[in-house]
Amino acid sequence: MPHLKKEFQVKAGDFVHAGKGSMQIQSTLKTIGYDPEIIRRASICAYESEMNIVMHGGDGTIYLTVDDRWIIIEACDDGVGIEDIELAFKEGYSTALEEHQEMGFGAGMGLPNIKKNADSVKVNSSKNKGTYINMFFRTDKNHG
Amino acid sequence: MGNTAKESKPFVYVQIDEKLCNGCVLCMKACPTKAIRVRDNRVARIQGVCIDCGECVRVCPRGAIKPIFVQSDEIEKDIFSIVSSSAVLYSQFGGDVMPNDILLALKRMGFNLVYDQGYTNEIFNVAVELHIKENRKKPDAPWPLISPICPVVVRLIAYRFPSLLKHIPPFLTPSEIVAREVKKRLSAKYGYKQEDITVFHITPCAAKMISMREPVLQTSSYLDRAIGIGQIYNTLKKNLHELTEDKVLHHSGGVGIGWGMTGGEIAGVNANCIAVSGISETIRYLEKIEMGLLHETDYVEFRICTEGCLGGPFTVADKYQAKHCLQRLVRMFGMEKRVKYEYVRDLYETGWFFTDQEAMPLEASSSYLSVAENIERQKRIDEVLQLLPRKECGACGSPDCHTFAEDVIDGSVSIENCVFLSHDKDKIRISGES
Repeated sequence: MPHLKKEFQVKAGDFVHAGKGSMQIQSTLKTIGYDPEIIRRASICAYESEMNIVMHGGDGTIYLTVDDRWIIIEACDDGVGIEDIELAFKEGYSTALEEHQEMGFGAGMGLPNIKKNADSVKVNSSKNKGTYINMFFRTDKNHG
Repeated sequence: MGNTAKESKPFVYVQIDEKLCNGCVLCMKACPTKAIRVRDNRVARIQGVCIDCGECVRVCPRGAIKPIFVQSDEIEKDIFSIVSSSAVLYSQFGGDVMPNDILLALKRMGFNLVYDQGYTNEIFNVAVELHIKENRKKPDAPWPLISPICPVVVRLIAYRFPSLLKHIPPFLTPSEIVAREVKKRLSAKYGYKQEDITVFHITPCAAKMISMREPVLQTSSYLDRAIGIGQIYNTLKKNLHELTEDKVLHHSGGVGIGWGMTGGEIAGVNANCIAVSGISETIRYLEKIEMGLLHETDYVEFRICTEGCLGGPFTVADKYQAKHCLQRLVRMFGMEKRVKYEYVRDLYETGWFFTDQEAMPLEASSSYLSVAENIERQKRIDEVLQLLPRKECGACGSPDCHTFAEDVIDGSVSIENCVFLSHDKDKIRISGES
């Protein structure tokens, strides 16, 4: 069966529209009718990766691909990249600017939160080469 | 999921007068659940899940849409009649009329018993505080909790945000608690059968009726009839002028009275709370909660009407003037709760506040499809959407291009109904939907 694929553009530094893409992802997943708990986890990951692009990413795109057995969310950007991926997964570690932290973002919980909510995460990034995050969710455990 | 959900019933609680409706698109555009269509016969019709928010009633420039309500001549027929009222009623007659006068005037209208609900509101506030404290001890409790008071918000959650149902404390609303308690006490004291007692509730809310007939949070309502404030306004006003009695019926303080306006409920809750009102803000905040963004907040008071219940479709006074009036009453009666904490805790522990039913999602028709079928459907919808101009004009009779694409795929309308595409036959042929 061919999959449904959608993409959402994210602009760097655009805090006014930040979160719109993940809300659309959430609404698409709801229309398809997945288990609410899986939708919740996927939306949190979409939101965290969208905020990462807004804060560090340069411009980027989030791709949503869905099947009846799984959901994949991919976030790509051409921004500053991640120097030490292992460190970025540590709770509280943040490279966010002070002004972002004053807005209540950049608490160093982005990637840790993604790891907690996705069934598997792959990160491909190096300094100044942009970032690619692949988040995978199994959906078939509640739909036999 | 499908088999546990309540099926949406065909009964709709608003009526569209076909003689007055000219088929404009305002109600269709305003409907938050996209339940209205304006098809070939040029009259608006309701076909989806109605949450009875009253938006269509409010926007209709011709007064063609009316909620279905109890007729006021039904009041006299009952053996024993009790009336309770939303605190909004206290704000409808200007600054000189006191709550007690209004309650006395209600008594003059022939109700056997008039009950001031404001006091129960204050008790309810304490129960919410207890519930917050209890849940904060549980590691996996959902946050924030969501007020169960606004019936439209509850239905909106059951329909569009079912994952948030567990955020609603399983509490009966104060008007339900009042109805249950007075019925219980009267039948114990005077030996009336419970079914011979009729509890009326005076309300500014267009959704009260639906929340009584098909409650989401309980199996059946203790309230028997809803009366819109506008329906009894003139009779009540006449009785207000003729008052001679001097009896105290009003007991609540400012906390209970303040419930009529946005922020009024949470003013009585000592915790980290926010109040949100208006339909678009409510939806925006529910989306935020669904993404886990507000988990540090304890309790959110949502009211679908702007400014809270004061802005309900059945009010008579202007909502901002009514607010001024209510704020004055709140100052006059004071913001200290006059409820004994220990007394409420005992009630809470015996389950006095709790409902008898777990909230169930209300589902739209597409949710009966399997996930695979829905993905297929979404893809076809996207294909149609690619052809549409995205002007969101509503001239096709569907509220926006996306909903039109859904309607085309579901077979309820032809793609030729798009006024832009009908000039562009080539595109229609490519889509194969003509």
